Amino acid sequence: MITGDQEKALNISGETESAARESAAARPPAKRGFPSEALQDIALRVGSIVTLVLVWWLLSLLFPPTLIPNPWETFAEVGTIIGTGHFFVEMGNTLRRVLVGFAFAMVVSIPMGILMGTIRSLESFFEPPVILGLTMPGLIWAVLMIMFFGLTETSAYAAVSITIFPMLAISIWQGTKSIDKDLIDMSKVFHASPWSKVVDVILPQLVSHILAAIRYGLGLAWKVVVVVEMFGFSNGVGYQVVRGFNIFSMKSVLAWAITFLVVMIVIEFGFIGWLERTLTHWRPRIEAWRR
Amino acid sequence: MAYVHVERAVKSFLREDGREMLVLDGVSFDTREYGITCLLGPSGCGKSTLLNVISGLERLERGYVEVVSNHRESGMRPPQLGYVFQDPRLLNWKTVEGNLIFALRGMKVSEAEWEERLHKYLELVGLFEFRKQYPLYLSGGMRQRVGLARGLVIEPEVLLMDEPYSKLDQLTARKLREDTLAICARLRQTALLVTHDVEEAVYMGDRIVMLSSRPARIAEILENPFPPLERDLDDVRFIQFKKKLLQTVLKLVNQEV
Repeated sequence: MITGDQEKALNISGETESAARESAAARPPAKRGFPSEALQDIALRVGSIVTLVLVWWLLSLLFPPTLIPNPWETFAEVGTIIGTGHFFVEMGNTLRRVLVGFAFAMVVSIPMGILMGTIRSLESFFEPPVILGLTMPGLIWAVLMIMFFGLTETSAYAAVSITIFPMLAISIWQGTKSIDKDLIDMSKVFHASPWSKVVDVILPQLVSHILAAIRYGLGLAWKVVVVVEMFGFSNGVGYQVVRGFNIFSMKSVLAWAITFLVVMIVIEFGFIGWLERTLTHWRPRIEAWRR
Repeated sequence: MAYVHVERAVKSFLREDGREMLVLDGVSFDTREYGITCLLGPSGCGKSTLLNVISGLERLERGYVEVVSNHRESGMRPPQLGYVFQDPRLLNWKTVEGNLIFALRGMKVSEAEWEERLHKYLELVGLFEFRKQYPLYLSGGMRQRVGLARGLVIEPEVLLMDEPYSKLDQLTARKLREDTLAICARLRQTALLVTHDVEEAVYMGDRIVMLSSRPARIAEILENPFPPLERDLDDVRFIQFKKKLLQTVLKLVNQEV
């Protein structure tokens, strides 16, 4: 935000008011009242989860344990699969499949999206398959890949890649088209090298598009991998869910689902959120304006 | 130093209906070797196009444009031109100094000189304390100052300015004009300022080149009788000079109509 030195300089140049306003806007609003806003927010979120668990517990009292196991036993099961390290092994497999498939999709979609956004003919040519790919449900891709590659790791990687590739390509394609031409002109006038044009001017404008695509793609990728695993792999979270289904242990299925959910949330909000914050700290936060 | 020589510049644009629209109709003039030359003309007359031609963003159909320099054999090296746009056109993801470095790198200024230049030119526009700040945290006037510093930091032979104050509020614009005038005087900077504002032309320009409305032709060229640092907007004589110019411009506009 604005340092003391800067504030002094602002005073001298007579620009204090508007800049101070802007810097205040960029800082979170001062906390007033008791309890403070941040605490209130956390309390509400925690309260919401607690309520869910309580509702679950009530339901478990009404239904037989084979249909709705009670929360505490389920949490105990969660403790077991984590404690024995079992969870990390299975999660590791699932995670690997997601990451490899994702990496492959990104490597192909970024150049393709940029090309589609810059060259008219390529755009017209590639648009139909991309839209078709987007409309196809991820589950069907999973089935097709397994049929084609058999029960190998490749089918998992392929299923993930092909499912998320269209949305990544579209995001980057649209992002490239919406690039500020004025900034390109500016870079021409200052004789920026082609490398500098791409790295300093074009890519930063694509970042928000790429991040949005990653968020969405990640959510979909998890689902596709789990489905692929359900079909006949012998490891992974999806496999564990099917196993629980086969022995009709609701407790087991729920335990795996919950643990998986927590990890997914940590990655999506923790990692992606962190990535977004570091990549966009040059932009004043809009949250400061919210009541 | 250097100056810009424009020789019978002709340029048209293709309109949507396929017809050609003549924008520059044989424009010829020279800027001054030192100080600010103002290109004054009504909106849409083609003065921005002329600036784009000089900076290399557009090409002429006939005629040519040359940046003549004592220190450089014409044609040996591309001319060092700085540009200040109407809107700041900063890279918002880079800091203030990052934006200046972007220009320094593009113009292949050696890294050893960067620190000194950053200090000098950011100091000149009064933004040295903000060197590590990001543009979106600055006010509009400050961002425009960064744009000005960026144009100057490469120490161009000629500084091109395209209505750089037109998007600012009156007070900020006034202050920035004063500062630009003082800076250009201090640096003995050759500059070409495009504007449609008569008062701005009279206040900023050591030489005023008046263009007719589209297609642009040279209507009149005059030298400003008042030295740069003695132009007082409240001075009676200055106001008279301004009035005279305004009348000429009005006549031009009415002629076309």
